[in-house]
Amino acid sequence: MTLALDMITTAAILFIVASGLLAIFGVLKIINFAHGAWLTVGGYCAVVCAQAGITPWLSLPLAFVVGAALGGLTERFIVRPLYDRPLDAILATWGLGIVVGQLITLGFGRDVQFTESLLPGAVSFAGVDYSLYRLFTLAAALVIGGGFALLLDGTRLGLSARAVIMNEHLARALGLDTAKVRAATFMLGAGLAGLAGALLSPLTSVDPTMGVGWLVGAFMLVMAAGSSFAGLAVACLLFGSAQVIVSTFVSPILGGITVAVLSALVLRIRPKGFSNV
Amino acid sequence: MPDASNPASNSAPNSAPHPETETAPVLALTDLRSGYGAHDVLNGVALEVRAAEIFALMGKNGMGKSTLLKTVLGLVPARAGDVRRAGVSILGATPAALVASGLGYAPQEQPLFVDLSIRDNLRLALRSDRELPGALERVAAHFPFFLDRLGQKAGTLSGGEQKMLILSRALMLRPRLLLIDEISEGLQPTVVARIAAALRAERDENGTAVLLVEQNLDFALSVADRWAVLKLGAIDDEGDNDAQARDRVLAHLKI
Repeated sequence: MTLALDMITTAAILFIVASGLLAIFGVLKIINFAHGAWLTVGGYCAVVCAQAGITPWLSLPLAFVVGAALGGLTERFIVRPLYDRPLDAILATWGLGIVVGQLITLGFGRDVQFTESLLPGAVSFAGVDYSLYRLFTLAAALVIGGGFALLLDGTRLGLSARAVIMNEHLARALGLDTAKVRAATFMLGAGLAGLAGALLSPLTSVDPTMGVGWLVGAFMLVMAAGSSFAGLAVACLLFGSAQVIVSTFVSPILGGITVAVLSALVLRIRPKGFSNV
Repeated sequence: MPDASNPASNSAPNSAPHPETETAPVLALTDLRSGYGAHDVLNGVALEVRAAEIFALMGKNGMGKSTLLKTVLGLVPARAGDVRRAGVSILGATPAALVASGLGYAPQEQPLFVDLSIRDNLRLALRSDRELPGALERVAAHFPFFLDRLGQKAGTLSGGEQKMLILSRALMLRPRLLLIDEISEGLQPTVVARIAAALRAERDENGTAVLLVEQNLDFALSVADRWAVLKLGAIDDEGDNDAQARDRVLAHLKI
């Protein structure tokens, strides 16, 4: 039972980390390699809240707002000028990620920091004691996934975003402000990266490179997901479960690369990944 | 409450054109050049489309007809010359601003979101869902069959229905100028007749101007008031739709 809960909550955590990256990839057709840096920034938002003695619950909206603001600046000054050169835009986000990592090191040092859990303790669930906070991440993933479904299917911004994802030329020709859709999506994606960092901080630890490992996994998951949130959920469930199984029964080190290896295998067999599920 | 001291506030919106632009053509191109990469597709096009007029632009494949429409809409940047709407240059304006100012566009390539419903395809022409019921009612006057099938995916419509949907979407915002790219291509005569009737009705009842890019000579001359032939990116010939029009256009379209 614990194993099953581990599998589901690991998938939830992967989904939280990758959803912002997928949103940006779907609309802008670029991978935002600064995603890991915004995640780290989110983690440090949690550290700052803890040091200032503010309730850790506040770190979640704070991390989202800080991430979205930084994402807005990134889109305006780095990504948008490279609109016609997507490969250069991707490289620029990679470089930005390195710069942000160094700035965090300058500001906070290399030390590993820990934050208090928002929900300490365990609950009894289906006969086993399980970390309350890991269950909370499952709820958070469901809220994020449900939020995206509502946004995409129930709002004009979502409809515009879907139009840009499907056929950006046509969206522009119909008079949609595609630049605004791109900017809003980039801010949302970066905000979610920050939120993911703050959510993860009690589970792992916070240091200036915390985002790098998550970025690789999230990148591979997004590649395997295609441009679909349902595909991402499937990829997270399958690969997250595999990671837990490999970590538990084989070796935690191999478990750490399970997601990347399986994603690469899936893409080799099905180049469109899970986009049609 | 209207301000009695200001007579202008009593006039209905949209009914009083700017005095200076009242007589200017809806669309005027002068020495327009544009293209892709190092290559110019339009080599100095000059033409005028007037209010309540259907202007047919004909020419063989690759002569620059579609590029001309895309340049007018700002999708392809103009490299030289001018594009004027009602006397005002619109060079450099974004497609979003131009659509908002009354341009409607029915594209030829990948013209529909095939995975979206009829309703969502039509919604995307509007800026607010509040306008949807009125706009739907307006286009349903031409093509009523959409109304019972708003949830159907656009990609599952027949070829003729798709073309009618493309035209309906271009009409949603009640444009002053319609840009239509080869809408009759591959259609049955009955569907072509319905599209022709819709274009005539928009012209006669709403004063809409239409720039109709076509290869179907019979359809084009059945609705057009004036015509021009585009050849190698420039206007080769133009005239009124009179008794000689057919022979003159045919002479230019021959190999």
